[in-house]
Formats: sequence, structure tokens, C-alpha cells
Amino acid sequence: MSMFRAKKLDIGCFVNIKTIRDHSKRKAFAQFEPERQALRYIIRNTTLPPKARAEAQLQLTQMHCYTRPTQIRGRCIMGGKGRGVLRDFKMSRYNFRMQALAGNIPGVKKASW
Amino acid sequence: MAAVPRARLLNLMKAQCEVFSTTYNPDGIRMGNKILRQRLRGPTLAKYYPPKGPTIGTLERVFKRYELETINEEEEDRQEHLAG
Repeated sequence: MSMFRAKKLDIGCFVNIKTIRDHSKRKAFAQFEPERQALRYIIRNTTLPPKARAEAQLQLTQMHCYTRPTQIRGRCIMGGKGRGVLRDFKMSRYNFRMQALAGNIPGVKKASW
Repeated sequence: MAAVPRARLLNLMKAQCEVFSTTYNPDGIRMGNKILRQRLRGPTLAKYYPPKGPTIGTLERVFKRYELETINEEEEDRQEHLAG
């Protein structure tokens, strides 16, 4: 959603709407994480009155979907692709191969024995 | 070996909880403390994409007072395109 989007472009890697969206989701999640955790604590605490816990459940479900951690997806920083992304290198498999063969990733070498 | 009475074990647990500042919960009631023990993941997740670095335009603006000459090819191309 545009209300979570930065007014000025603030990422320096490959940019398309999907990476911008994912970045906005990450920032929204970081901003609202304490609130979410507090609500989660109230829900899990069985010593609190059931009414308060039910209210917390409702509040948590009514929070914006961008504040949910499950919305975040690792995307390729070289091409913005969402599938086949190696988490350690933040790159899709093809871009990882190209960068590794070009020697741009320290410590990565093509296997040969 | 004689069995240790439960009350004594509970006292030990209580003392342990005081020393290590954890919650004394002998009945294992779910109090949601595991949520409070979790670290916040937001800051690391938000750092996934690299931040935007300086461009020629921003460098020009920052070092304006030194009156350096900069070559901004993109800007020149744009001006040429506008003129021609």
C-alpha cells in the first residue's frame, strides 16, 4: 500500500515495483513488530481474562496485512525475482551463478574434483 | 536414597527463579513469556535491500563550496536531448 511506501526511493539495488513493495512491507513490519508481539503475548497469556485475550485476537487480525511477517519474501537484489533465491547471497540462482563465475562473490568457487 | 519432598524442590525452584530472574511457574501455566523472550526480527529484516548510495548529483550538492568541476554525463545527455 502506498502509505507504507517511502516518499523517496531508498533502495540502491535492482528496483521494480515488487522490490519496492517488499521493502515497504519489511519496513512496516519493523515498525509495528513491538505492537504485534504485545498483542501476541496477551493472546498466549492464559492468566489474563478471556475478554481481553479475545479483544487482542481481534486487534491482531485487524492490523494491516503489510505489518505481517508472512508477507515478506526474499527477493533477488540483482533482478528482483521472487523464486529460486539463495538466501545467503540474496540472489536468484541464475544471477548467483553469473556473479560467482565472474568472481564477484568472495569465497565462492565452482566445484571441481 | 531418600526421596526429596516436593515442597523443598519447589523452594529450590523459587530460589533459582529469583537468582536468574525468570518467572516462577511451577504448574507450567501458559503465560506467554516465550513471546517476550523472542528477539525483535524487524531491524534485520528491514536491512535486506542495500541502501541508496550517493549519486553525482548529490555529491555535487554536498561539495558545492569547494567549487569543483564535475562531469555528469546523464545530465548532459538530458540537456542535449532537450535542446536538440
